[in-house]
Amino acid sequence: MAETGMNARMDVRKHKPSIRTKLHYFIVYVAQHPTLYLMLIPGLVFLFVYKFFPLYGITMAFKDYNIFAGANPIDAIAKSPWVGLQHFEKLFASSQFIKVLTNTLVINGYKVIFLFPLPIICAILLNEIRSRFYKRTLQTAIYIPYFFSWVIVFGIFYSLLGSYGIVNTWIASAGLDRIRFFTDTGVFRGLLVFTEGWKEIGYNTVIYLAAITAIDVGLYEAARIDGAGKWKSIWHVTLPSLAPTIVLMLILKVGYILDTGFEQVLVFYNAAVYDVADIIQTYVYRLGMGQMNFSQSTALGLFNSVVAFVLIVGANTVSRKLLKRSIW
Amino acid sequence: MTGSKKTITNKIPLGKSERITVVIANIVLTIFGLIAIFPCLHVVSKAFSLGTRVTAGQVLFWPNGFQLETVNYILTKTSFFTALKNSLIVFALGTFISMITTITTAYPLSKPAFKGRKVISLLYVISMVFFGGIIPAYMVIRTIGIYNTYWACIMPFAIVQFNMFIVKNYFEGLPESIEESAKIDGAGDIRTLVSIVCPMSKPVLATISLLYAITYWNNYFHVMMYTNSTEMRTVQLYLYDIINNGQSFAENLYSGMYSGGVSISPNVTTDGMVAAAVTMSLIPIIALYPFVQRFMIQGITIGSVKG
Repeated sequence: MAETGMNARMDVRKHKPSIRTKLHYFIVYVAQHPTLYLMLIPGLVFLFVYKFFPLYGITMAFKDYNIFAGANPIDAIAKSPWVGLQHFEKLFASSQFIKVLTNTLVINGYKVIFLFPLPIICAILLNEIRSRFYKRTLQTAIYIPYFFSWVIVFGIFYSLLGSYGIVNTWIASAGLDRIRFFTDTGVFRGLLVFTEGWKEIGYNTVIYLAAITAIDVGLYEAARIDGAGKWKSIWHVTLPSLAPTIVLMLILKVGYILDTGFEQVLVFYNAAVYDVADIIQTYVYRLGMGQMNFSQSTALGLFNSVVAFVLIVGANTVSRKLLKRSIW
Repeated sequence: MTGSKKTITNKIPLGKSERITVVIANIVLTIFGLIAIFPCLHVVSKAFSLGTRVTAGQVLFWPNGFQLETVNYILTKTSFFTALKNSLIVFALGTFISMITTITTAYPLSKPAFKGRKVISLLYVISMVFFGGIIPAYMVIRTIGIYNTYWACIMPFAIVQFNMFIVKNYFEGLPESIEESAKIDGAGDIRTLVSIVCPMSKPVLATISLLYAITYWNNYFHVMMYTNSTEMRTVQLYLYDIINNGQSFAENLYSGMYSGGVSISPNVTTDGMVAAAVTMSLIPIIALYPFVQRFMIQGITIGSVKG
């Protein structure tokens, strides 16, 4: 810091202009660039209407919401009476809550355990394919399902695995019992994990592949000179170079564990498999839109948002500490 | 870089471990590729196969007994075209609006001198982590009077924060000197954006518009939440309906046949109909795929990881 008082004062003035001067600069800048501020309006309108306005709706969780209490659904929130934490108490005491929480963690946990390593293996192997044409063809084939909606994926697998689908025709012709993939509680989670992998592996493979192409070729040459075979150079060069990407992807997966799989489950499930497939968000949806129990549904949604928020911010902190990379 | 790598690998003869690796890579990935592609081929084949062979499970990965009656039935006797029209409107209008809001938000925020950029950027970050929930959002859509309109289908993705930040980062990386010279030539902020910044950012804008286009096309949940009439159904809702109610569709179809109404070929089966509807819905995605190939891979590297 500066030693003399004079210098210190100048430093202060340099670094911290008074609010009045700041405001003055701001007004001058706005006057010079009015269009830059006008440009922000469309984005901000959407932001406030669709992202911030619903935050007010969270108060429904603490009220006994009656949709007909006001002139419109939002006005009705203001006119509904406060009930404190009643909805949360009821929710946490219900067996349904434990069930959907368990389902969310189990299904998404399975997905991480079984699906996380596959794109890494795919990317490493894809990098070993000699023919450029075949490499591209394989990449395209594996990548394409990523662009299908969950409804299309549902249609494709229904066609394949439905009671009279081709797979069950084979099973029946082999003299075995048909497997009810979509209604049997024993196999439904497996179906969710498999279709998730089918749709998403290609996308993640491309991410790892991009990281592999960024590895310095000199490292492989050095490994080769040191007498490393293919497996050794994969183990000692490729994997360590991929480690930051792998860790980041894992952090993201865990961070978003409560937020994934909603649309998939919503499209695939049915009343027969609610016991094993109903996750927090599908239950929020059915409580609200099906049973019109808006307050309790919002309470559960709020619980989900708060836990998800903690997880995501936690994931971001870990990522920043460990990898010096921020998610946003 | 890839070129030099290729020459290296070509010069040195393959060792034993290399050869084994290449064989394993080819076998494993061919299996993965087939798992990805065969279900699609199967469903497309079913759409064009004879009804009896579909029901008997004789259709594998190529049409067995080619016919177009099922597809014809889907196109003419169901509301496919209404759904297609809705999907196209939402997808075109939505992508257009999203691109406008994304660019006009990213541009001011990308300027280091812009006063207020930190506060506004923070607002967007906050909106990424705080979410009111599906029920409050539904109440807002009902209150502002856009329920059951195209606007309700566009609203959720009018600006996707993550995409906006990618564009903003890209704009920040552009050389400032070119923009400066435009300023000296007397171009205003809008002129600079339209005729200098956007043309220079073509790759990222192409990637982002593709991301938006696919998001709108594939969106099922929000359209289901925010609309309630059959006239507003998009392709995804229509398809979901066909898959789940294929049975009742088929019953209608046969009752029509028995009551002496329109005679329908026995080629139109429940399974075939689902397959044909899926096939029709696949076409736009397949049509976009060349662009996807070109822009998505670089898009992933630009954005590094999707949030």
